[in-house]
Amino acid sequence: MTKVIAITGKGGTGKTAVAALMIRYLSKKGKFLLAVDADADTNLPETLGCENVKTVGDAKESLQVEIKKPRPDNPDMNKESILKSKVYEIIEEMPGYDLLVMGRPEGTGCYCYVNNLLRGIMDKLIVNYDIVVIDAEAGLEHFSRKILRDIDDLIVVTDASRRGFQTAERIRELVSELDSNVGRIHVIANKVTDANRQEIVKLAGDLKLNLIGVIPLDPKIEEMDIKGIPLFEIPDDSVAAVEIEKIVQKLGL
Amino acid sequence: MADFPFEISPMFEGERVRKEGMFVELGGPKSLGLELVRAADMDAIVDDQVTIVGPDLKDMEEGKTYPWAMIFNIGGELVEADLESVVERRVHDFINYCQGIMHLNQRYDVWMRVSKDTAGKMDSFEPFGRAVMMLFKTELPFIEKMQVTFYTEQAEVEKQMTEAKEIFKARDARTKDLHDEDVDVFYGCTLCQSFAPTNVCVVSPDRVSLCGAINWFDGRAAAKVDPEGPQFEIAKGELLDAVTGEYTGVNDIAKKLSAGEFDKIKLHSFFDSPHTSCGCFEVVGFYIPEVDGIGWVNREYQGMSPNGIGFSTMAGQTGGGKQIVGFLGIGVNYFYSPKFIQADGGWNRVVWLPSILKEKIDETIPADIKDKIATENDATDIASLKAFLEAKNHPVVATWVAAEEEEEEEEEEEEVAVAASPMMMPAAGFQMPAMPMMSGGSGGGIKLTFKNAKITIDKMIISQKKEKK
Ligand SMILES: Nc1ncnc2c1ncn2[C@@H]1O[C@H](COP(=O)(O)OP(=O)(O)O)[C@@H](O)[C@H]1O
Ligand code: SF4
Ligand SMILES: [Mg+2]
Repeated sequence: MTKVIAITGKGGTGKTAVAALMIRYLSKKGKFLLAVDADADTNLPETLGCENVKTVGDAKESLQVEIKKPRPDNPDMNKESILKSKVYEIIEEMPGYDLLVMGRPEGTGCYCYVNNLLRGIMDKLIVNYDIVVIDAEAGLEHFSRKILRDIDDLIVVTDASRRGFQTAERIRELVSELDSNVGRIHVIANKVTDANRQEIVKLAGDLKLNLIGVIPLDPKIEEMDIKGIPLFEIPDDSVAAVEIEKIVQKLGL
Repeated sequence: MADFPFEISPMFEGERVRKEGMFVELGGPKSLGLELVRAADMDAIVDDQVTIVGPDLKDMEEGKTYPWAMIFNIGGELVEADLESVVERRVHDFINYCQGIMHLNQRYDVWMRVSKDTAGKMDSFEPFGRAVMMLFKTELPFIEKMQVTFYTEQAEVEKQMTEAKEIFKARDARTKDLHDEDVDVFYGCTLCQSFAPTNVCVVSPDRVSLCGAINWFDGRAAAKVDPEGPQFEIAKGELLDAVTGEYTGVNDIAKKLSAGEFDKIKLHSFFDSPHTSCGCFEVVGFYIPEVDGIGWVNREYQGMSPNGIGFSTMAGQTGGGKQIVGFLGIGVNYFYSPKFIQADGGWNRVVWLPSILKEKIDETIPADIKDKIATENDATDIASLKAFLEAKNHPVVATWVAAEEEEEEEEEEEEVAVAASPMMMPAAGFQMPAMPMMSGGSGGGIKLTFKNAKITIDKMIISQKKEKK
């Protein structure tokens, strides 16, 4: 069975960093992995060291253009297999994992049909992999639209700010309104310093959030960030990489 | 299924063969890939035969991409050329049922990959060909005999490709020529009921869905694969009215799926029992009573229509899955239908289109009416629209004249009024008698009751009497 891990949280808290570190660790462990960037900002490819990727949004749009031709050349075209091949074509085949970028939000007009096709395609795609790691924005849009469905582990990343924790609480409420089945919800506190560590652990406890890991503010990440080096290339012994390893183990992956 | 070297199951349908695990790639974005199904005489087919022209699997080099064409011949008592495309659509499914073989796209854009695992278990495409044909014959029993030829040589594939493109072209011409009267079933779609609970989309060869995404062929394909899914068959039933496009089967489904909200849908009608509109339509039509004509505005048009409202406002009023008399949501492709709102005058009733829409559908607008239809460059309000139509002598103008005359000569007006008594007439060979004329009497309109009558009318113009100011 495929395990689906979705990572969410307030912008800037480190969702993409956590996702990239997880993908890095899991792909090295030899898991057959699909990485999904479901944030319209699309930072994940860059963080993984992959540039100029095409997106599902582009694929959808190009099918939409074909469908919406007033006089299609072939009214009997198999739209499902065309969309499927567009999606399969844009999957970036990275060493040890596949990368799929959802991309831009849709334009105006009706996407009911195309999205319905996409749902079927995503369902069938996902079962190819041992693990799917999704970098998702806080609104969980692709889940509310049911393009992506069930989640085994939902990880909410927060920084040391109160607002980060508030977002975590809000996401917990949002999840109960989704049609998706969500297995477990965890929280990772990121960019934690010795000065605020205790307070954060206490806050998580007060809010009854299931704190699965605490990632320190990592000078290595900051350094790579400034130099523009993809986070995927972080050394194994950096504090963040070590903590991610522990988290992955706790998740039983 | 014991005699195939790989497993066969619908489970493998979405299987992705990655570059790292791939033995060879066939066709695809970097090469040529073709698939074609052709009906053939039973005698011309050697059942289950697989012919390979060009290098076979064992002669192929790992990691390389090869051109690919596969031509299937099918035969059987019920097999005819019209079934070719139906069968061809399933090639994608059945090839994907084979473990370790990935098939994408269709026709002349086919893209396949064979995994290292599966290539390791066979050295020829022969068992693969047999497996696919076995699936076809099991799932589509009307196929009695089948054979396939795989081409893997550039020159040969190119040749097949050229020939196939001609065949596709002819086939497309035939599909474009399919009409409501040629089929027994239409298709329904309820995808949008989640937000427009009484919306029932009915898709027929002459009427694309209002979202523009689903045509009759898509309905057919989806309903075949998943009859319980959002697209399903609607048996046409009895034809009640060829002009308005009214069928008993459609009425039944309308009643059922709208939970009794309405009991009729006439496919080619604008005013009486029109198709429902959820908010998804590409274009919305609106009646302009002042000129007794219909204007249309598409989603892309940002401006106002002559009645002072724009697309989004009209969409707000019309959406929700109701029959709103005076408004109708359609897909752009419906403008190309020979039955386009034929119950209400068809193109002769169209008075206004945004210029971007008019350009887009230029080729389908009848030449004699094209210049008489105004755009935002000709008319932005009712007064200027009226003047434009009058200057161009648009067909609707004739109805104004009639209405005006009626007003002036009210005294001597000839009004058709048939007594409400039921007319019993023989159904066969019935000739419409001249209507009894009665002068005078401004009585409350007409009531006609026919029972058991069969009436053929070439042309009928019914125009509304204008209220006296
Ligand atoms: N543990 C950490 N230590 C130092 N910097 C971090 C850490 N986690 C994330 N960052 C930095 O914080 C910024 C925002 O992180 P990012 O993953 O892009 O957030 P999000 O995806 O939630 O918007 C980035 O510049 C990233 O390098
Ligand atoms: S608008 Fe399109 S997707 Fe929606 S119900 Fe109609 S056909 Fe289906
Ligand atoms: Mg991000």
